[in-house]
Amino acid sequence: MSDCDLITESMPLLLTESLDAEQRERTHQHIENCATCGDAWSGYRETWSLLATLPEVEPRPELKKGFLASIGENVKPFAPAKDRRYMKWLAQAAAVVIIAGGSYFAGHRTVGAPQNYQTPATINSQYSIAESRVLPAAAVSPTIEGRPNIENVSFVDTNPDDQTIDLSFDVTSHVTVTGRPTDKSMVRLLRYVLENENNKVSPSRSRTIDWVRAMYSKPGNAEPEISEALANVLRNDSHEGVRIKAVETMNRLPVNASADTREALIQALKSDPNPAVRIKAVEALANLARSGATLDAATLDTLRQKAVQDNENVYVRVKAAEALSSIHQ
Amino acid sequence: MKHLSDQELMRIVQAGDYSPASEIYDRYSSRIYNFAYRFLKNSEAAEDATQEVFVKMMKHANQFHGDAKLSTWLFSITANWCRDYLRKADNKTKESDDVLVNLPAPAELSPERTLEQRENERRIQKALGALTPEQREAILLSRYQGLSYAEIAQISGCSEGAVKTRVFRAMETLKKALTSEASGGQRCLTAI
Repeated sequence: MSDCDLITESMPLLLTESLDAEQRERTHQHIENCATCGDAWSGYRETWSLLATLPEVEPRPELKKGFLASIGENVKPFAPAKDRRYMKWLAQAAAVVIIAGGSYFAGHRTVGAPQNYQTPATINSQYSIAESRVLPAAAVSPTIEGRPNIENVSFVDTNPDDQTIDLSFDVTSHVTVTGRPTDKSMVRLLRYVLENENNKVSPSRSRTIDWVRAMYSKPGNAEPEISEALANVLRNDSHEGVRIKAVETMNRLPVNASADTREALIQALKSDPNPAVRIKAVEALANLARSGATLDAATLDTLRQKAVQDNENVYVRVKAAEALSSIHQ
Repeated sequence: MKHLSDQELMRIVQAGDYSPASEIYDRYSSRIYNFAYRFLKNSEAAEDATQEVFVKMMKHANQFHGDAKLSTWLFSITANWCRDYLRKADNKTKESDDVLVNLPAPAELSPERTLEQRENERRIQKALGALTPEQREAILLSRYQGLSYAEIAQISGCSEGAVKTRVFRAMETLKKALTSEASGGQRCLTAI
């Protein structure tokens, strides 16, 4: 390896001031006397400076609120060793009581495949995911499978004279619902997930929208309720990236011309604080017009206003003008 | 809480008291978020990363040893999260540059100057996106977080020599993409 190669390799170290004094001096001397390395050094310095121009982005304040709220929900306080032993004992005691009582409710289950699932006597034929149930011990399998995650255990003896005790707990279960995209239950579940994602129903909000787009953009799967749910996401979601995805997906769905979805697009164009969302709303409205929908006078007026509004983002103005031009062609 | 060191705050957390959570978050959330955003080019994933890193920090506070810097530990968790995210095949296509578009235009700049600045930002993000994940991780920690090669090596689970190589190669690629060496030598604007 030549001197120049060695010097070039140490340029990033020179930029980060990671060379010791002697190496630094030697490197600088070489750079001053070697035109090739001098050019390379200028390039490195220019690149290093350019990188610094990338602006810092502040996380949204809601993120901190979410984190502080989740500490109570997701993180159990780290307990000193003595307390942990106590918790372990409590868990074991709970398990013993559960076994003695013949309690069972856990694991991964598939709703829609009832042949794999032993239905306890008290469960209705229609399964509700919001159900809080009371099960007699005799209705619960004594075999505990799948290492269920049991929390918030409480022991209650409401009537000391009746020979029965109550053991109450929360258990996390994983439910898979199988059905056609157009099944009412499936549509309602997806709608619930879409409209409640700010409450962390699902870990990634845009993942659901991606999936909805893939499933419901097929002509046979058109579902007005899904479009309405996306319109609500556009109105209410606090994250601009999610709102952008919602508009993009509305734009792809075969059924997106309802009054409700159009109203959501116009509202977004008028008042969404984020210019990228407003641009997407313009595109969606233009696309609606191109696909044959008639835009009413109020919508066209809004587009005209946006095209000439002095304090509007320059990209939004250009897009609105383009949209009007394409609509009138 | 503001007068306490990171180590002192973590000792309180390790004793089962979560009251320093807000202070620790204030000290590091911006750095963690920006690192994750620049690594993943996806603001939503960066938010998820930030949230999960801090929850993990509280959950596994007992794994933090006072002899290490809290920033190094937090960046280790963040880098792991980001690597896992990229490893999942369906996340590779989810890059977006929405945040750059979303940043409010500085009031003092003319529309032309704003466009130029946005275009520069886009070029830098694109150039960073063209690096391998290992190179990107190394250059982000070095340039934007000011970490030493020894700290980066600890975070990335590799030798200091490997970090040096990654930073060097990253700088070579970035120099070609961002300076007059770039093909065409242009920094002109293109309308979106």
